Amino acid sequence: MFCLISFLILSIIGIFSASHRVLAKEAFDCVFRRLTLRPCNTGFQEKMKAKITGQLLPRSVILARLFNKHFELLAWLLFLVTLVSIFWTGKGLFNFYMYGSCNGLNKSGFCALDPTGQNNKVSQAGGSCTVGEGDESKVTLKDVNLSTFPAKNNNEKNTVVFIGCFNCDYTRKAYPIVKKLIEKNKVNFVFAHYPVKGETVYMLPIGYCAYKQDQSKYWQLVDKLFASTKEENGNPDYLNQLLVGLGYSLESIQSCTQSQETKTAVVRQRIELEKTNIYGTPLVFINSKGLVGPKPYRVYDRILDTINIFKNK
Amino acid sequence: MGRLKDQVFNICLMNNKLRSDFPIFSNQGEKLPIYFDSACQSLRPQVVIDSMIDYYQNYPACAGRSMHSFASKVTQKCDESRVTIAKFINARQKEEVVFTRNTTEGINLVANCLDFKPGDIVITSDKEHNSNLIPWQVLVNKKGIIHKIILSLSDNTFDLDEFKKTINSRVKLVSLGFTSNLDGVTIPAKEIIETAHKNGSLVLLDAAQTAPHQKIDVRELDVDFLAFSGHKMLGPSGTGVLYGKYKLLENLEPFMVGGDTVSSSTYTTHEFLAPPEKFEAGLQDYAGIIGLGEAAKYLMKVGFSEIEKKEREINSYLTKELLAIPNLKIIGPENSDKRGGIISFCVDGVDHHQLALILDQSANIMVRSGQHCVHSWFHHHKIKGSVRVSVYFYNTLEEAELFVREIKKVIQVLL
Repeated sequence: MFCLISFLILSIIGIFSASHRVLAKEAFDCVFRRLTLRPCNTGFQEKMKAKITGQLLPRSVILARLFNKHFELLAWLLFLVTLVSIFWTGKGLFNFYMYGSCNGLNKSGFCALDPTGQNNKVSQAGGSCTVGEGDESKVTLKDVNLSTFPAKNNNEKNTVVFIGCFNCDYTRKAYPIVKKLIEKNKVNFVFAHYPVKGETVYMLPIGYCAYKQDQSKYWQLVDKLFASTKEENGNPDYLNQLLVGLGYSLESIQSCTQSQETKTAVVRQRIELEKTNIYGTPLVFINSKGLVGPKPYRVYDRILDTINIFKNK
Repeated sequence: MGRLKDQVFNICLMNNKLRSDFPIFSNQGEKLPIYFDSACQSLRPQVVIDSMIDYYQNYPACAGRSMHSFASKVTQKCDESRVTIAKFINARQKEEVVFTRNTTEGINLVANCLDFKPGDIVITSDKEHNSNLIPWQVLVNKKGIIHKIILSLSDNTFDLDEFKKTINSRVKLVSLGFTSNLDGVTIPAKEIIETAHKNGSLVLLDAAQTAPHQKIDVRELDVDFLAFSGHKMLGPSGTGVLYGKYKLLENLEPFMVGGDTVSSSTYTTHEFLAPPEKFEAGLQDYAGIIGLGEAAKYLMKVGFSEIEKKEREINSYLTKELLAIPNLKIIGPENSDKRGGIISFCVDGVDHHQLALILDQSANIMVRSGQHCVHSWFHHHKIKGSVRVSVYFYNTLEEAELFVREIKKVIQVLL
């Protein structure tokens, strides 16, 4: 057992240290002999046991004695700990590949592969851009009516719903990734502006009206807003300039925004978004699967692929 | 041991003047090694190292072959070494000294050059180093000789009576370890040689463990052949000597031949040089030979009476302390005076390799563990192996005290 555990550990250390590489070879020889049902006669285990005992002895005779006496038990414990570690490491790697977080889908704990937690960061509603503290497991599209939100490519099998704020760093990071995703795949796309910061609340009725009046221009407007600076987006005059630039009539937009229908629609949209249990942006749904925070492209793409595979079956 | 104690201990050690000749003791900083494996290979004094560096730096050429000044100097230095070695063992003439790579080569030279006939008997003891066992086993198969082994007495000393009973007119050679590397016991060589000679047999002594520790007088012993190594007597590794009586050497046919062994050759014939050259085929290890000469000079300067006194003092202390440890058994006689500088021991229930490794790891104490190239003896006695402590004159009582303290701790851990 000790040979196996030593081989695993020394192989990793051996990548960086030549002296440990030699020991790893010895350990491998021992493991290979065991696997081929031959006795391990290299003395590797005894040598390592004596070496470690010798290092412990100047510190404490009792400790050295305990180690020497319970060496086999300690080796087993170490083996089990290593097995558990390997399992968790594997799981972490799997999760990181699948969901962009070592801890799993929408889990924001520490991840060595994403130490700053970039893939899980969200802008909290009404707050600053920090790691979200909401309940990631509760985000859902169940009973959410998306019919009043801007949408394109209808009648496809799959739907990507992107809920974000124009002035949130993490939404701004996720938008080009999601855009690439919907360009490369045939999907329905729904965009919902969820203003986590006060300075973009004014855009809600304007956005509603802009989409209502000209859908193709609306998507250009969204692109431009995500490409603009946060300061520019906070300025209503700048948005007016963009609208004019895209050929919208400001009078018509203004008239639309003041209508009761628009006001009701905006409130209704807000209510629908709250049903998703959103606690920060970006929140992306691929069909019913919700992903909180800006994930790498591969994560969105893989989920979509998996869904397609199952649907095709 | 605490840091202060360490320092006091080190100061105490360094006060030993002879130790300052050995660079290894000044290279290690606070953690001085305690080297108790001199039976395998001794440490080297600076003079030996310097002499070899001098060769490589100032006259790195061939001896005897060229006419230039470098070659003359190498020839002269190698000749001086041969003279020194001859003096070291009190040989009649320097031509009785053949340079070899080690004791093993010396023994093999005799085994392969003596004209053995089928039925010739070679006698050895039961605790020979493989170097003085395997050559004879090979000759049993190759030439049909008979190999007889004299079993030791219960205290592992040589059974002279049994030897006298065994020897007969068909015994061509008595080949014995002068001092055993297993337990440090020295055989009564003079009596053995007298007996053998009366019988008309030749005697070869494996003096690898004797030459570094005792004065050897080949003339007084009247021994026919004597082999020893440089690396156990402060000399360079890869050096050794075979002493042979000149007349015997003259009559031996060399088994390794080639360059430097002949005075002339034609396409079909050759003329061998006189001993020792005819046994020294090919380019020699000149630096090693020069270093070996320096080592012999150094040992003669220190004096064997001093060396023996120091070793006995340490061995006596160690023997007394070790025998007090329960379950510890010393191989060979309990009387330390009979074991020179060697103490081999086993501890019931303790693996010898583990014990040695832990001593090394925990206290930088270097001892030998295993079967010490005397596998046959261990197999015969059904013992797995032993720990061997071998001391030399550069060791100190303080080191021995520390060793005893440490080994008690290690045994406590392992039992």
